[in-house]
Amino acid sequence: MSNPYKTSFFSPRRVIIIASSTVTQLVRMKVFYFLAPVALLFVGLQFFDNLFYQGPETMVPEQQLRMHKNLCLGTMMFFTSLFAIVFTALIIPSDIEDRTLYTILCKPVPRLDYLAGKLLGVLSVLFIAMLVMDLLLVITLHYRAATVSADLGRYLTAMNFSEIEVARGQAEVARHGPTLLLQYGVLAHFGKACVLAAVALLISTFSTSTLFTIASGFMIWIIGSFQSVARDGIFNAAEYGEAPGLADRILGTLISLIFPDFQLFEAIADASARAQEILLDDMLKLGGLTLLYVGIYTVLSWFVFSDKEF
Amino acid sequence: MNDVAAVEVHRLVKDFKGPFRGKKVRAVDEVSLRIAPGEVYGLIGPNGSGKSTTMKAVLGLVRPTSGNCTIFGRDSLKVDSRNDVGFLPENPYFYKHLTAAETVKFYGKLCGMRGRELRNRAEEMLELVGLQDARDRRLRGFSKGMLQRIGLAQALVQDPRLVILDEPTAGVDPAGSRQIRDLILNLKSRGITVFLCSHLLEQVQEICDRVGIMHEGALVNEGRLDDLISMHDRTEIVLENASEELLDQIRTLVEVTHDVNLVSEGNPRTTLESLFLKETANKRVRKSQKRLSK
Repeated sequence: MSNPYKTSFFSPRRVIIIASSTVTQLVRMKVFYFLAPVALLFVGLQFFDNLFYQGPETMVPEQQLRMHKNLCLGTMMFFTSLFAIVFTALIIPSDIEDRTLYTILCKPVPRLDYLAGKLLGVLSVLFIAMLVMDLLLVITLHYRAATVSADLGRYLTAMNFSEIEVARGQAEVARHGPTLLLQYGVLAHFGKACVLAAVALLISTFSTSTLFTIASGFMIWIIGSFQSVARDGIFNAAEYGEAPGLADRILGTLISLIFPDFQLFEAIADASARAQEILLDDMLKLGGLTLLYVGIYTVLSWFVFSDKEF
Repeated sequence: MNDVAAVEVHRLVKDFKGPFRGKKVRAVDEVSLRIAPGEVYGLIGPNGSGKSTTMKAVLGLVRPTSGNCTIFGRDSLKVDSRNDVGFLPENPYFYKHLTAAETVKFYGKLCGMRGRELRNRAEEMLELVGLQDARDRRLRGFSKGMLQRIGLAQALVQDPRLVILDEPTAGVDPAGSRQIRDLILNLKSRGITVFLCSHLLEQVQEICDRVGIMHEGALVNEGRLDDLISMHDRTEIVLENASEELLDQIRTLVEVTHDVNLVSEGNPRTTLESLFLKETANKRVRKSQKRLSK
């Protein structure tokens, strides 16, 4: 009797099965242990801040909170980007080396499902890690903001400021606390990590070693962070009296076509740390850009992987 | 009656590119074979003879340079064809973080199974391979034989019509090896087609209906095991209670001697091992003669 199960071109259910197995794999590899030093760092920063903070008379209160946010968001960005590359780089080569891939691809599993499942698994782990770090940031920032706000209130009252002025000062402090703006910054870092994971997925489909994938992933991370500066330098050279040559223009175009541009991600994260206004439109653009990059790199990975022989 | 072959390999050629645009290496050269449903087919050959590449082409893991492979009439490069296949690779490794039961369920889910059907099937498979006591143990601590058995369980989870086994008893102790052999015989009795590669010629001889011998990428001999190992230029007479004198005159006397029972008459057999060595040696001699004549 023929097997009754039909294989569709793409099955979200199969993608979720592979993704949940990847999550279990990473969780049982104890990858979340890195959250312990992160938690220690976030809490430690509190003491560090207290050590150098002599009160509102020596430092603008918002600056104190901005410093805390910058350090915490920087830590989150570093860990999520690092793990986006490392986790993804580890997963496919290890499946090939262990021949686990043989047994998976010999079941009715389209290669796109396998790749999408692996990527979704890594992104889910990153999302959980980001969520925990975000929670830690919100808690520590909440206490820090409360301390700074109370100090400021006491200081301004002592300086005979009116109640309205005290309230205005404290509202400014609250704006630098755990607000929705802060979450935009966290989302920007998560979006960047998603793009880096998709880039690492693409590299791992043709690379023969984990080390190469990780090294290339880091290179792309760096290039992506600075490509807008390089591109501006090339294309806007005329403004400084120097017309870009053909080779420069080709190089600039190639860089912008091949590598992701992290400028928008960093601009939003930066604005979030400074508690500057971020438009919903910008966030939608960021979401669209993330989906576009992840989609393009996943489809490219599929093109490479679909013809790969094992 | 089903005329569709379980596996059909038609003039399969597979070339691998050499490094830095070097010379192409032909791993499989015009191989054609047909495995009927319910048959146990063994592919044997020395290391590097192209057995594994042929198997991978049948599984769609490598793309033929020319020729094609089908599984129950469906192109093996199409994902759909794998609904009917269970595969056990040589020295299989699975996700070490999963338990035995989780592993079988994982592969079952990939085949579209779910719910009670999946749970029952996973338990049934663990029982079949004798691993029900180790169902909650992670594979990290499994022996080679246990991994081989869990490999068989995952290969069979979706009740495939074809099972492909690459060196199923490699590195397994004699008891485990016998257990796997019994499992293959059990599959055969259930009408499941088995396509296996093995270096253990005795085992192949014991369980296969038909055998193909590969050497340097080509299928040098193929056929029913009984036919292949029969020596057609000789006749074997098995007698009961025959004296020494009688044996000397047996050819002339057997028809007229009434107190001797002729139990059976047939072709004496060589071993599959001898045939294998002869075939591969002949090919080597032919190749060196060809080289000398150039």
